[in-house]
Amino acid sequence: MKKYKITIEGMHCAACASNVERSLRKIEGVKEASISLMTKKGFITAEDYVAEDEIKKAVEKTGYKVSKVEIV
Amino acid sequence: MESHSHDVRNSQSRISEHPENPNLKEDFHEEPVEDIEIKSWKRKLVGAWIFTIPVAVLMLSSRFGFEILPEKYMIPILLILGFPVIFIFGWQTVKSGVKGLVYRYFNMDSLIVLGVLVAYLTGIFSFTGILEDYSGVSSMIMAFFITGRYVETIARGKASQEIRKLLELGAKKALILRANKEIEIPAEEIQLNDIMIIKPGEKIPTDGIVVKGASSVDESMITGESLPVEKSKGKNVIGATINQDGILYVKASKIGKDTFLSHIINLIEEAQSTKVPIQKLADKITSVFVPIIIGLAVLTFVNWWYFAGDLSRAIGIAVSVLVIACPCALGLATPTALMVSSGMGAKKGILIRKGEAIQTMKEVKIIMFDKTGTITKGKPEVRSIFSITGEKYLLEIAASLEKLSEHPIAKAIVEKVGLKRYRQVSNFKILRGRGVEGKINSKEIVIGNSTLMKEKKISFDKVKEKIDEFEENGWTTMIIAENKKVLGVIGVADAVKEDSLEAISLLNAKGYRTFMITGDNEKTAKAIARETGIKEVIANVLPEDKQKKVEELQKQGFVAFIGDGINDAPALKQANVGIAIGTGTDIAIEAGDIVLAKGSLIGVVQAINLSKATFSKIKQNLFWAFGYNIIAIPVAVAGLLNPVIAEIAMALSSITVVTNANLLRRKRI
Repeated sequence: MKKYKITIEGMHCAACASNVERSLRKIEGVKEASISLMTKKGFITAEDYVAEDEIKKAVEKTGYKVSKVEIV
Repeated sequence: MESHSHDVRNSQSRISEHPENPNLKEDFHEEPVEDIEIKSWKRKLVGAWIFTIPVAVLMLSSRFGFEILPEKYMIPILLILGFPVIFIFGWQTVKSGVKGLVYRYFNMDSLIVLGVLVAYLTGIFSFTGILEDYSGVSSMIMAFFITGRYVETIARGKASQEIRKLLELGAKKALILRANKEIEIPAEEIQLNDIMIIKPGEKIPTDGIVVKGASSVDESMITGESLPVEKSKGKNVIGATINQDGILYVKASKIGKDTFLSHIINLIEEAQSTKVPIQKLADKITSVFVPIIIGLAVLTFVNWWYFAGDLSRAIGIAVSVLVIACPCALGLATPTALMVSSGMGAKKGILIRKGEAIQTMKEVKIIMFDKTGTITKGKPEVRSIFSITGEKYLLEIAASLEKLSEHPIAKAIVEKVGLKRYRQVSNFKILRGRGVEGKINSKEIVIGNSTLMKEKKISFDKVKEKIDEFEENGWTTMIIAENKKVLGVIGVADAVKEDSLEAISLLNAKGYRTFMITGDNEKTAKAIARETGIKEVIANVLPEDKQKKVEELQKQGFVAFIGDGINDAPALKQANVGIAIGTGTDIAIEAGDIVLAKGSLIGVVQAINLSKATFSKIKQNLFWAFGYNIIAIPVAVAGLLNPVIAEIAMALSSITVVTNANLLRRKRI
C-alpha cells in the first residue's frame, strides 16, 4: 500500500472534486481517494502496483491537471 | 547595449531554473495560488463588464421604448458585444463546461455554459424570425457568473487564510556552522546534525536540540501556547518557532518531511479531504445534480413549448433552470466550514484530523482522561515539606544527597530546593527502591521510605501523622534522618497540570460525565480525582486493558478518550472521539481524531466547543444550500424567473454559504 498526496490545478467547484474522486476510484487498486476543493490537494491510498501515471491520467480525464505528486 | 541587457535577463532566468535550487522555484509556484486566482477572476470581471454594460444599456433602453439603435442593428451588435464576454473572458468556464459535457464528468460550469450558449444561439437564430433574441441575456449571465466567482474566490481565500499562513510558516534561510564558519543557506539545504545559529528575533530553521546558549522561544504559532518557553542546552526546539532574546546553537535533528511543522501541515491538509458524515447526502446529490438539472431543463423546455406553444419563452425558462441550480452551494457548505474551523483550531494548537470527529463530538456524553501525562504532568514534584528542626537545613542536606541520585523523586527534590552550592557528601549509596544514604560533615544521613527507616532502626513516630496524611493524598513520602533521628518528611507526587482543575470543572458544568483511568492504586487515583474535580475513577488498570474499559463505558454512551497518544493508542482508537495530547515534538499524530499540540486540558474544552460550533455551522450551510435549491428550482421551472435574476440568485447562494462559513470565526471557543 502506498499513499500519495497530489496537487490539482484548475479545480474550482464542488462537483469537480467529486468528479476527480470518482474517476480515481475507478482505477483498479485504488482503495481510497479523497480530494479537497479548498486546499486543491488529494490523498490517495493505493496498492503498490498502481502507477503514478494512472493517477495523473484519471485526474486529467475529468478536465484538470496534476501539478505535483508526493508519496507520504 | 540592448542586446547586452537581453543577455543578462536570459542568464538570470537560467539561474532561477538551476537544478541546484529547485525548491525556491517550487515555493514561488506554490504559495500565491489563491492570489493568482483572484487576480485572474478580477481581470475577467473587468473585461466582461466593459462589454456587458453597453449590452445592459441597450436592452433596458429598448425595453422602456427608447431607440438608441435602429432595430435591425440591435441583434448583431448584441452578438458582437457578447462574443468576447463569453468566448474570451468566459473561455475558461466554457472550456471546462464543454469538457465536462463531452467526457460526461459534468460540473457546475456545464450548466452555466449550456445556459449561456443556448441563449447566445437564439441571437443567431433570431434572424430566421422564429425565435426571440436572448443573446443579450447570455452576456449578462456570464458577467454575473464571473462576478460571483470573483467574490466567492475572495471569500474562499479568506476561509483558508490561517491554513495558508501555516503553510508559509517555515523559515526560508538558515545560518549554519560549517568548518567553523558561519554560512547562510536556504532552509531546505540543512542536513541532519548541522549546527544552526539562531539570533534573537529569528526563526528556528528546523527541529533540533540546543547544544549551546539559552533563550526563550515563542512557540505560539505551533502549539498555541502563548507564553514563551525557556530553552537551554539539551532542550528540543521546533522549527518555525521564533527565538526571543538569546543566541541559540541548535543541532538539526529533523529535516524536510520529518519535521513537526511538516507533520502538522500534512495532517491539516489531509483533514480537509476527510468527510463529515452529514455531508454524504450533499455529496451524493452533487455528483448526480448536473445531469439531473440538464434533464429537468430539457423537460421544462419541452413542456413549455408543447403546452404553452411559445418556443422563445420555453427557451428562456429552460435557461433559467440551467443557471439557477447550484450544486456549488451544496458542495461548498461543508469544506468551507471545515477549513475555517481547522484554521481556528490550528491557531490554538488544536488539530482536527478527521472531519467525522466534529459530528461525533456532539453525541459524546462521557469524557475519559488518562491520568499520567494527561491530567498530571507525568513528572513528580515536591508537594509538601514538614520539618521538625528547621526547613532550610532539612532541604539543604536532602538536596545535597539527592543531587547524586538519578531517580525522578530525587530530581524533584533537587529541583524544588534549587541550591546554589551543595554540601560535600561522602560514602554515598543508593539503596534501590528504598532511598539513599551518605555522610555530610561526618553526620550519617538517611533519606527514604518507611521500609528503609525500619531497616535502619530509625523511629519515625514523631512524623507518623504527617506520613499518614501524605499517603492519604496518594503522595510518595520521603523521610529524612540524621544520626538516626528524624528531621522531617517530604511529600512527592506527580503534579496536576495547572489548568486541569479549570478544564475539568468546565466539562462537569456542561454536564459531561468525567472519568479518570489509571494504573495507580485506588488511593492515589482518588486523591488526584479530588484535586481535579473528576467525578469517577477507574484505578488499577493495566495499560493494555484501557481499551476494554473504554469499550465497556461505550455501552452507556459515546466516549471521548483523552490520552498521550503513545501508550494510549488503542484506547484512543476505541473511543468514539480520540483526543491525543501532544507534549513537545513527540506528538503521536496517527492515534487521535483530534490532536492537541500543547499539553493543556483547556485544549479539550476548546476542541469540544470548536467541534460543536463547526458542526452547527455545517448544518446551517447545508440547510441554506438545500433550501435554496428546493425553492429556486421549482420557481424557475414554473417560469417565474428571468434568466439574469436566476444567475444572480445562483451566484449569491454560493457566496452566502462561504461567507457564512467565515462567520464561524466570530465564535469564541
